Amino acid sequence: MNNEQSNLSSIRQAFGDTLYNLASINPNIYVVNADLKGSLFLDKFAAKYPRRFIECGVAENNAAGVAAGLSKTGKTVFLTSFACFSPSINWAVIKQSICYNNANVKIVGSHAGLLSTDLGATHQMLEDVALMRSLPNMEVFAPLDALETEKIVSVLAYTPTPAYLRLVRPPTPLLFDRNLNFTIGKSHVLQKGDYATILGYGPVLLELFKLTDLSLEIVNCSSIKPLDEKTILKSVSKTGRLLVLEDHQKNGGLGEAVASLILSSGIKTKFAHLAVNNSFGQSAKDAQPLYDYYGLGLKNIINTLRNLL
Amino acid sequence: MFLSDNFQNLIKLSPSLRSDVLDMVYQSGGGHIGGSLSSLDLIIAVYFSGLFNLKQDRFILSAGHLCPALYVVLAKAGYFDKKLLSTYSSFGSVLQGHASAAVPGINYSSGSLGQGLSFAAGLALGNSQSSVICLTSDGEHQEGQVWEAAMFANKYHLGNLINLVDSNHYQIDGSIDDIMPLNDLAAKYVQFGWTVTTVDGHDFGQIINALKKAKNSKYPNCIIANTILGKGVSFMQYDYHYHDIKNLDERLYLRAKKELENQ
Repeated sequence: MNNEQSNLSSIRQAFGDTLYNLASINPNIYVVNADLKGSLFLDKFAAKYPRRFIECGVAENNAAGVAAGLSKTGKTVFLTSFACFSPSINWAVIKQSICYNNANVKIVGSHAGLLSTDLGATHQMLEDVALMRSLPNMEVFAPLDALETEKIVSVLAYTPTPAYLRLVRPPTPLLFDRNLNFTIGKSHVLQKGDYATILGYGPVLLELFKLTDLSLEIVNCSSIKPLDEKTILKSVSKTGRLLVLEDHQKNGGLGEAVASLILSSGIKTKFAHLAVNNSFGQSAKDAQPLYDYYGLGLKNIINTLRNLL
Repeated sequence: MFLSDNFQNLIKLSPSLRSDVLDMVYQSGGGHIGGSLSSLDLIIAVYFSGLFNLKQDRFILSAGHLCPALYVVLAKAGYFDKKLLSTYSSFGSVLQGHASAAVPGINYSSGSLGQGLSFAAGLALGNSQSSVICLTSDGEHQEGQVWEAAMFANKYHLGNLINLVDSNHYQIDGSIDDIMPLNDLAAKYVQFGWTVTTVDGHDFGQIINALKKAKNSKYPNCIIANTILGKGVSFMQYDYHYHDIKNLDERLYLRAKKELENQ
C-alpha cells in the first residue's frame, strides 16, 4: 500500500500509456477507436502505430463489429470510447459479434459513473456493469487506481477472450504500489477489520480510508465478473455486516451479484447497498456534491454502517 | 469443390440444393425458406465457382436467418453429413435457427441484422491477402450499422471486401417499398465510394462475372443481386408470408418438391 494518497494519477492515462508500452512488445495489439483518442490518452499509440490504430469515427456499432472481425485475424483488439457510448449504444453488437462469437476484444469504456461530473446525465454511465455482466463470455473489470489499471490492462492483453474495462475520468489518488499483483477473479482485502465488510470497485472506495473510527474490512472487487466468491464469503462470515458501495445503478450492479451470492451461500449477514437508485445523474463541478446527493458520500456511508446493527 | 469455367454444373446443382432447403425446412417443422431460396444461387456461386479458396478467403453470412441455404451448400461441400440437415433448429442440433460459428465451415454467428458487414470489414482489414464475401439482405440495409460499415470500408480502401446483396425486395412484414423503401441502393453505395454491379441473382454467368470483377478491385465492391423471394416454388414466389414458415402442409410440400424436381 502507498500511504501518500495526495498523489493523484489518471486512470485513463494509465490505460493509454500501458497500451502504448505493451504495443512495442506485442505486435498483435490493435486499437479500434470511436473518435475519443485524446480522451483515452491514445495519441502516442496512434502516432507510433498508425497501422494498428483503426479510427471508426462516431459509429460505435460498426466499431464493435470491426473489432470482432479484426480479432479473428489473430489480433488482440482494444475497442475504445466512453462507457456511455460503448458498451451502451453497441450492446447488441457486443452481444452477438463479440460475445457470441467469442472474439478477443477488450471494450474500454472511459468516463464511467458520476465522476464524469460536469458532463451530466448522458455522459455519466451508470448502467455499464449491468449491461456487461449479463452477457455470457464477458468478463468485467474496474480498476481502483492508475496502478491497478496498468496491471489489469497488462493481464487482459494476454487473455484472448471478451472483456470490459471500466475507467473513470478524473485523476484519482494512488493506493497501490508497483508490487500489486492482479489476477482475474481475485479480490484484494485493502484493509482488515471486524465491524463490517465493505465491497466495491473503482475510486469511490478511496474515501473509506478516512473512516478510521470503525473497524472496516475493505475489499476491492475490481474483478466484478468473475467474482472472488471465496474472499467475499470469508470476509462476510467474519463480520456479519456487509455494505456494497458502487458508483453505478443499484439495478444490475455488483450489489445484486453479491446479494445473490450471499443468499445462495446460506451465510447470515446484515446487508446494505449504496448505489444510484433508479435515477439519472446530473452535472456538478466536482464529485463531492454528486456523491452526497446520490448517497455515496461519507455521511451516508457512516449512517448506513451504524444502522447495520 | 468443383471448378467451373463453364457453370453448367452450378445450374444443375441449383434445383437439387433448393430441394434440400425445402426438405430440411419441411422435416424440421419450419424455417426461413423465402430468403433461403432467393439467396441460394449466390451462395452456390461463392462456394462452387472455384473463384475463392475458402481455406483462406472468408464467407460471412450477415443475414443469419438465411442459414438453410448455407447449410445445404456446406453439406454439399462436405463440411458435415447431409443427414444433419433435418435437425435444423431442433434442440441439441449444431444447426441453429440462425447461423452459428459452431457449425463446421461457418465463420461468424449471426442473426441480429446489420452486423455482418462490420465484422467482414474487420476481417478484410486484418487480412488484406484474403477476399471476404459478406452476404447481406436488402431489408437488412434499413439498419444504420450497415451504412457505418459502408463508410468504414471506403475509408480503409477495403478492395478485398465484397458485399453480396440478396435483393429479393421483401422482408418479414411485406414489401420493402411498403415497410421502408431503400430507393436506389446502387446509387447509395456509389455515393459511399463503393464499386457497384447489379446482376440477376439467378443467372450464374452474371453472378460469377461480377464476383470475378469484384475480386480484383481497389475499392470495396457491392454486388446487388436481384432475386426472387421463394425462387423455384411457384406459390412461394413473391409472397412475403413465406419469409418464415411453420409446419408446411404436406400437400404443399409435395407440390413444391415436384416443381423443383422438374427444373
